[in-house]
Amino acid sequence: MGIEYITILIVASLLALMAIGIPLGVTTLLVSLGTAILYFGERAGFFLVAANVTEVLHKYELIAVPFFVFMANVLERSGIAHTLFESMAILGGRFRGSVAVQTTIVAVILAAMSGIMGGEIVMLGLIALPQMLRLGYDRKLSIGIICAAGALATLIPPSVVLIVYGLAAQVSITKLFAASAVPGLLLASLFITYILVRVRLNPAMAPIYDIPETGLPFFSRLKFLTGAVLPAVLITVVLGLIYGGIATVTESAAVGAVGALVVSAIQKRLSWTMMRDAMRQTVLTVGSIIWLVLGAVSLIGIYNRIGGGDFLRDLLGSLDIAPILVIVVMMLIVMVLGTFLEWIAILFITVPIFAPVVADLGYDPIWFGVLFAMNIQIYYLSPPFGPACFFLKSVTKDIELQEIFAAVLPFIALQAVGLFLVLFFPQIALWLPSMLGN
Amino acid sequence: MSKFLSRYAAAMDRASVFIGHACSALFFACIAFSALEVVMRYGFDHPTSWSIELTMALCAMAWVLSVGYVTERNRHISITMLELMVGPRVWHWFRLMQILAAIVTVSVFAMAVWDPALRVFSRPEYSGTALNSIQPSLLKVLILVGAILYVLQLLANLVRWVQGTEKASTHGH
Amino acid sequence: DTYTIQTSFNAGDFSTTYLTENWLPKIKEMTDGRVEINLTPSGSVVPSKETPQAVAMGVLDGDWTSVNYFSGQEPAFAILGDLISGYDTPAQMLGFCKDGPGEKVWQKALDAIADGEVQLVGCGPYSREALPARVPIKTFEDLKGKKIRSPEGLASAVFAAAGASPVSIPFSEVYGALEKGIVDAADASAYVNNAATGLNDVAPYPLYPGIHSMPSMELTMNKAKFDELSPEDQKALRDWFYMAMEDLTNVVHEQDEKLAAEDTRKEGVEVIDWPQESRDKMRVVARKEWEKFAEKSDLAKEALDANLEYMKTIGLMN
Ligand code: NA
Ligand code: NA
Repeated sequence: MGIEYITILIVASLLALMAIGIPLGVTTLLVSLGTAILYFGERAGFFLVAANVTEVLHKYELIAVPFFVFMANVLERSGIAHTLFESMAILGGRFRGSVAVQTTIVAVILAAMSGIMGGEIVMLGLIALPQMLRLGYDRKLSIGIICAAGALATLIPPSVVLIVYGLAAQVSITKLFAASAVPGLLLASLFITYILVRVRLNPAMAPIYDIPETGLPFFSRLKFLTGAVLPAVLITVVLGLIYGGIATVTESAAVGAVGALVVSAIQKRLSWTMMRDAMRQTVLTVGSIIWLVLGAVSLIGIYNRIGGGDFLRDLLGSLDIAPILVIVVMMLIVMVLGTFLEWIAILFITVPIFAPVVADLGYDPIWFGVLFAMNIQIYYLSPPFGPACFFLKSVTKDIELQEIFAAVLPFIALQAVGLFLVLFFPQIALWLPSMLGN
Repeated sequence: MSKFLSRYAAAMDRASVFIGHACSALFFACIAFSALEVVMRYGFDHPTSWSIELTMALCAMAWVLSVGYVTERNRHISITMLELMVGPRVWHWFRLMQILAAIVTVSVFAMAVWDPALRVFSRPEYSGTALNSIQPSLLKVLILVGAILYVLQLLANLVRWVQGTEKASTHGH
Repeated sequence: DTYTIQTSFNAGDFSTTYLTENWLPKIKEMTDGRVEINLTPSGSVVPSKETPQAVAMGVLDGDWTSVNYFSGQEPAFAILGDLISGYDTPAQMLGFCKDGPGEKVWQKALDAIADGEVQLVGCGPYSREALPARVPIKTFEDLKGKKIRSPEGLASAVFAAAGASPVSIPFSEVYGALEKGIVDAADASAYVNNAATGLNDVAPYPLYPGIHSMPSMELTMNKAKFDELSPEDQKALRDWFYMAMEDLTNVVHEQDEKLAAEDTRKEGVEVIDWPQESRDKMRVVARKEWEKFAEKSDLAKEALDANLEYMKTIGLMN
């Protein structure tokens, strides 16, 4: 049987097994064990799977994942976000759409502290959404901004998505972090522009915010800045360690985790229970991610050995279109997969195949990593499997999933605009790493 | 028999949760050692030779051994789109299929990592670095222990499915 | 037949490209098309440490890889893989394999870790590694207190004995670690490869010619598959390997010399060549470590004795 049929068979069985709800890690292990045994017999097939799976545990960079997850959990449980939101709201003052804009800015700050998506959306859903609805903000605008801005956690560094991409594509995680900062801010400013334009066109969407503190003169409002100072210090420390090259990404993540504990201690919110719960939540999250990685890595090793990688590279290479369109095709594939697959699964299926082609075509794999992470932003929102929407749904009782899906559509369009801007103007991503390199 | 099985399920759940909680302490130690390394290097200009290998060993131990806890809480990542389409009664049978498929796969996987794990007892493998730790051997054994834990907890979940005492799955990423 | 051989080269680096373009067509020619080789990059099928097992099982048809990776499984490979301060040129050490007792003891070490199912075709180094450093290390004494990245093998033990702190960080982090001073110097690769990966840009005081190492590689095949070849093809394969390695040695040396000479003239770059006195001190320290490693297993002892015996025959030792 030719490799093209094997490929179709592998993809079909993956999809069928996933569709009936078998955990993705089990699905990939099952398919890789099956393929390995058919190709190499039991003894050699078993060895191949075992060797590749065990190697995952030797990947030093992967250790940053539990650290960033823990940091996010501490931030979520310690109320740091709540304080931050309050002080931003008061500092921001009154103008039409101010609360929606402040929500976006708070999301960006939280994103610069947290490497995973989820906690942020839950927090914003609990704090910002009731606020906006109470003030009479348009429901769809409010819901959409929380999902879209909350998803920025994995585009603005630090980001677990970029760490795993760096591992799969074998490129520098530090450079990926540097390259994704500006595109992250680009998306945030697209969101803010969109809000301001919408509320200007239709003032009924956003009544003026009216709490007594915002009426104070600017200098009196400055004292509310304290809530934002500690988070700012934490961001500076973590990103400073990474960009300044003082510590590896893994070590910076550890310092960040300790820092998050220190910040919550200063705000008198550190408790044994909080720490314990944050740690247990980390175990559950990381424990589920690792089996997905194990299965995916084993599948890739076997698929490469039977010539699958070469086959797909030749297939993509033989496309008779301009190189940039090859990238566009890749992005469309990721987008389609993003409607129904988990991000790690998408990453491990596509990146090992795409990354060498990207390099062959003469493009920078760092830039491609940023495009990938921006595409994952779309994945978070796009129905039917839109994790950001699920997260928001989990904290709001009176909003249907259908309404959330409808609300995020304009933001998906904005994300796509951002994606194509970076696609056609790579300097947006590559400017900062080239500056830091000198 | 049924009583024995439900006792097994309860005991297995307790063991998995206990190990899972212990894993959280391991992660905490990893964070502490990594942060300490930064302090040693910059504060005292004295990098340790053991920090990275020790951290990796502890972390690997934590995320492999947490598998029972993750399985007990039904937190493995899966796609549940069909649940809404087929309705709860059909989905109930899908659940059985998912558990059985996982049991078969992970058992075969345990067989795959069996030989490499046993091999290190007759021929230990060291890291070969300055520290020359036993870490590579440890990881090969750990992955087998993890696979066995996974199967044991899946069997407990199977018992719960049969007896109708399954726990609700919680969403998580 | 086409044989899949995993290398320890990274995809697209100088050595892989050179071998693929110049030497892969030759083996096909030499065997009238009976042997074709497909080189796959480091870690593409199985992790670098697992290639002997993978070859034994038939998952790979062979490997062409640096053997320092195996020193945790059998200490003899630390000595075979890089006998630091032992030989002066790669040609001498290739001679240890090709004309001396090298292949015999090497095969024994392979049998120990791969159950006698892997056949050694040839072995030896093709380059002397340079040592990219971000601070000047002008003499043996300067090593004291320096943080030096070194992975598996003798190198880290030798650096430690010389008073430096060996730091074990993954290869993927070497660039960043050097750039920002997490390490002062890094055990990396030949001068030309370091230049290609940009290491020399962030480490402006490269030590060249290197002071420490000459990593040795092996070409192996699955024993059953090797035995199927006719004796002529087996011989052709071995001859081809040594011709390719000798050629690669010359080409890499030429490139190294050229680049080092260019860099010497550059502002802000200082290519450091250690005085003989420092090299001698390094050799004394290294030899003590050879002895220590030789005590770790019978095979390690045998590997060291074979090296010492050959060094005497070529006049490197008395
Ligand atoms: Na982030
Ligand atoms: Na989606």
